[in-house]
Amino acid sequence: MIWMLAIILPLLAALLTSRYPAGRRNAGPIFVFASLPAIGLGLVEVSGITLDWFILGTHFSLDTPRRIILLLTGILWASSGLFSGSYLKDDKRRGTFNFYFGAAMAGNFGLLIAADAAAFYTFFALMTFASYGLVIHSQTPAARKAAKMYLVMAIIGELFIISALFLAVQSAGSTLFVDISPALANAANGPFIFLLGLIGFGVKVGAIPLYFWLPLAHPAAPVPASAVLSGAMIKAGLVGWMHLAPVGLVAWPSLGLMMVSLGFMSALGAVIIGLLQVDPKTNLAYSSISQMGLMTAFLGLGLYEGIPTSLLLPAIALYAFNHGTAKALLFLGTALPTRVGGYWRILMWLGLGLAVLAIVGGPLTGGLWTKYLLKTFLGKTNLPGIDVFAYLLTLSAITTTLLLSRFLHLLRQIEPPKESKAPPFILPWVFLLLAGGWWTMSPTLLPEGLMNQILGEKGMMAFFWNPLTIWSALWPIILTAGALVVVFTLKSTFLNQWIKEKPLIPPGDFLYVILWTGNLFEKQIQKGIAFMQSFVESRHSAEKIIYKFIDNKKTIQISTQAEALLRRWEVVGISFIIFFLALFFLI
Amino acid sequence: METNSLLLILILISSLIPGILILLFEEEQAFLRSFLNLFGAFAKVTLVGWVFVGYQQGENYTFIYGLAPDLTFALRIDQLGLLFAALSSVLWLVTTLYAIGYLKGGKHQRRFFAFFSLCVTASTGIALSGNVITFFVFYEFLTLSTYPLVVHRGDDKAVEAGRTYLWYTIGGGTVLFLGVVALFVLAGPIYFGQTEIIAGLASEKSLQLTVIFFLMLSGLAVKAAIFPLHGWLPISMVAPAPVSALLHAVAVVKAGAFGIARLVYDVYGISTAEELKLLTPLAIFAGFTIIYGSVKAYYQEDFKKLLAYSTVSQLSYIALGVAITGLLSTTGAVVHLVHQGIMKITMFFAAGNVAETYGYYRISQLNGLGRRMPLTMGAFTIAAFGMIGLPPIAGFVSKWYLGLGAVEAGSYWVVLVLLASSALNAAYFLPIVYRAWFCEAEQNDVHQKHAGPFEAKALLLIPVVLTGMFSLAAGLFAGSSYSPLSIAREIAEKLYPYLP
Repeated sequence: MIWMLAIILPLLAALLTSRYPAGRRNAGPIFVFASLPAIGLGLVEVSGITLDWFILGTHFSLDTPRRIILLLTGILWASSGLFSGSYLKDDKRRGTFNFYFGAAMAGNFGLLIAADAAAFYTFFALMTFASYGLVIHSQTPAARKAAKMYLVMAIIGELFIISALFLAVQSAGSTLFVDISPALANAANGPFIFLLGLIGFGVKVGAIPLYFWLPLAHPAAPVPASAVLSGAMIKAGLVGWMHLAPVGLVAWPSLGLMMVSLGFMSALGAVIIGLLQVDPKTNLAYSSISQMGLMTAFLGLGLYEGIPTSLLLPAIALYAFNHGTAKALLFLGTALPTRVGGYWRILMWLGLGLAVLAIVGGPLTGGLWTKYLLKTFLGKTNLPGIDVFAYLLTLSAITTTLLLSRFLHLLRQIEPPKESKAPPFILPWVFLLLAGGWWTMSPTLLPEGLMNQILGEKGMMAFFWNPLTIWSALWPIILTAGALVVVFTLKSTFLNQWIKEKPLIPPGDFLYVILWTGNLFEKQIQKGIAFMQSFVESRHSAEKIIYKFIDNKKTIQISTQAEALLRRWEVVGISFIIFFLALFFLI
Repeated sequence: METNSLLLILILISSLIPGILILLFEEEQAFLRSFLNLFGAFAKVTLVGWVFVGYQQGENYTFIYGLAPDLTFALRIDQLGLLFAALSSVLWLVTTLYAIGYLKGGKHQRRFFAFFSLCVTASTGIALSGNVITFFVFYEFLTLSTYPLVVHRGDDKAVEAGRTYLWYTIGGGTVLFLGVVALFVLAGPIYFGQTEIIAGLASEKSLQLTVIFFLMLSGLAVKAAIFPLHGWLPISMVAPAPVSALLHAVAVVKAGAFGIARLVYDVYGISTAEELKLLTPLAIFAGFTIIYGSVKAYYQEDFKKLLAYSTVSQLSYIALGVAITGLLSTTGAVVHLVHQGIMKITMFFAAGNVAETYGYYRISQLNGLGRRMPLTMGAFTIAAFGMIGLPPIAGFVSKWYLGLGAVEAGSYWVVLVLLASSALNAAYFLPIVYRAWFCEAEQNDVHQKHAGPFEAKALLLIPVVLTGMFSLAAGLFAGSSYSPLSIAREIAEKLYPYLP
């Protein structure tokens, strides 16, 4: 029952908060209530159920990594929902917003608890298309453009996903994901199927080279929607990958290498472009791309031989948990600087600082812990070039610090309000601050056995309070911060000139490369399109060709009406003959 | 006569008698006409339901009347026929409601409703016919009874369209007739399901059988609107909305698709058709039509024309599913027979509602309509998403089975066709959805023809909501044992007895 409630309650909430004024007024609490079943499922283990009558026979169950992500998702939707309740109070289209918000929420919960391909695809599509309404919400030209980009990429993604699922389900002979990934490991075309899935879900994850919609769409949505887009929904693609990846069962080194290298490319490359942004939300969107890149790289490691499955996926899920909560906190935080004044600002900066530290992997945070978890895999593999990997990881900590310092810098430039006050939506923000994964709470999500395997007998506290760990986490941050301070004091003009109005590289960077290339060929393409249109726009192009053929042979003597009739008649007759004869040729 | 045989006759005359009686009435007797029509429609749905339950319990329904030696008029129930009968009778009921609302106060209603009933008689006859001859008789009956509906408006455009319609369908009928006669000469009378007759001849008379198959296919392909024989369908959109809805989304076009399914499954048999390599050409034509129809639809500005080309495209999903052998693709083909019907009829109802309420006929006029007609456009949106193949709507179920079936048969190009069609469907349906929900209407453009408590006339609104709900439910509860999917699965399982 609780499984169905996790989906039905958000859908009900979508209806209540959009159609009825009372529902609209109380949207915040209603959304919190609607996400309770999902949070419950994330905290407590419940045995799965099968519903034969639902869609194509649906199976709901959870495993450890998905449970962790479900908990993350539940917390984020609850806090963003509560946030939106007061943040959008004066928005005239808030009913519409609530409708899409609730529907996307149902989709997001549903895809996490679905254990079979058809239901997963269903909820994935529900989430994707419902969040279109969130992206386009403000209906500004920029939002419309972002939404269009989002939709086009989403459909391309869907097509790749469905083809991957067709092939995967057929080769597994079952729609259950537990059967699918082993089947992919054994199938001859397994790598190809996985590649299709990689591309399809890569759109949602924002993997290179499919990410360019993301820095446009995530910031275009209202603040609470950006938070769930970048914190929760982006992880849906990751979950899709996890479902298909036969981690620990195969050795697909070339695919693994591809994921690792593309992952690090986005982890480091997105930072560079992100640094050049002037909008804090766009800056965060690039940070999301960068962080998802790291997760991509680690999942890629799983395609090499000798990776313990039971560890890798929960570890990645924990990393996602940490990143998701912190990123949502930062996104929601972008609404605060203009509205929060006085002593409240201390709390605000404290929270934002904590979230930044958590993403960077500062001492005592979940970020450090999850990074450590992932690093243990490096020790357990004996791949060539694994040292480079470790260096790159450290480098990414430095670049991420840079990127998020830029974010804080951008927020600092925003004029604070005169009097000391705090908007009501600081409450959910504080709630998220407390519930977030940067506290050392995150290890408690792991099953007992796993903990021991990773940490040994010493336990968590010994790990966290170890000076060595603290130092290794701290030095990249200190280094970067120090460098920044030096740069600031020595040559502040350089930073001040740093593109204040317009970003040096527009958000959606790669998109412009595509458009530019398109412009180069514009004339040729236009010619092509014009030709196609002249061909297609005629009412019956096939018939028209036949007309021309006939016109050449016949002299026009009969009255127009009779001729038209005759033409018709001949056209029909010729069509029949063509069809009939062509059938023989095609045998 | 036995009760069971009588039931079959009753199913037919439940629409035949109202049709004839309506012709005898005066034009002004609107209430009596509507009552008779609705009564007939309800009776038909009930009777089909009764037979359906009986058939599930193992009852046998046959009616055979000898016209001449070897030439019999035969009605018989099997699951495929029952599915089609159920589809056309339920949708007839819904469309009757719609038509009463739509044509209220219009001219020539007597003629319209009379021929409308005759059409439904013909399509149920096609569903229930037990042999090739009977099928052919009803098939031609359908052609003739549809003509007055196509030219209903009576203006030049309608007459022109009617003429084109006749050229195509009469031509198709002639070709089909050649095929039927040749088959009769070669193999004697064939009842549906007696595939062993053709199978026995396959090795000796392979050339003749091939020619006959292609002749019959050419005849059926007209109604199934397979390229290049689809030309009549978009032009016939001059007909009133209920006609477009029932006849050009369900009854007429489905008669063609259903005929192709019968020809392959119950006359030639899948194994014989495969042995003679008859299915590859069909698959290629169907695949091409899917893409062609979608591309054409993409360039349409007229709402109904767009839907018509989309029908051309979607119908060939059925032919494609028939042409690929395998349990899954057969399931997909059969289930799409139903799914395409309920989704497309929803879209035509919606288009009709928009035209009736606001007088909008073009895509560009639909801006902001979602806010003014939430139920209509909501149902349309569901159907449009279904056409694209997005879950959990009916169209997804069809696409899922067709796709899996194509992979199973190793025809990967079919998967590409399905994906391309999905993308194209998205490209021409999503702009409509976008305009309706995310664009603001230009204020000076709004002048509502209808005033009342609902967004449209209640009789126009109820059908669209109903069929929209059907479309959603058929996908959402596809796994339950009374869904179209599970019936389609049973049909497919019977056709492949050697599979576990």
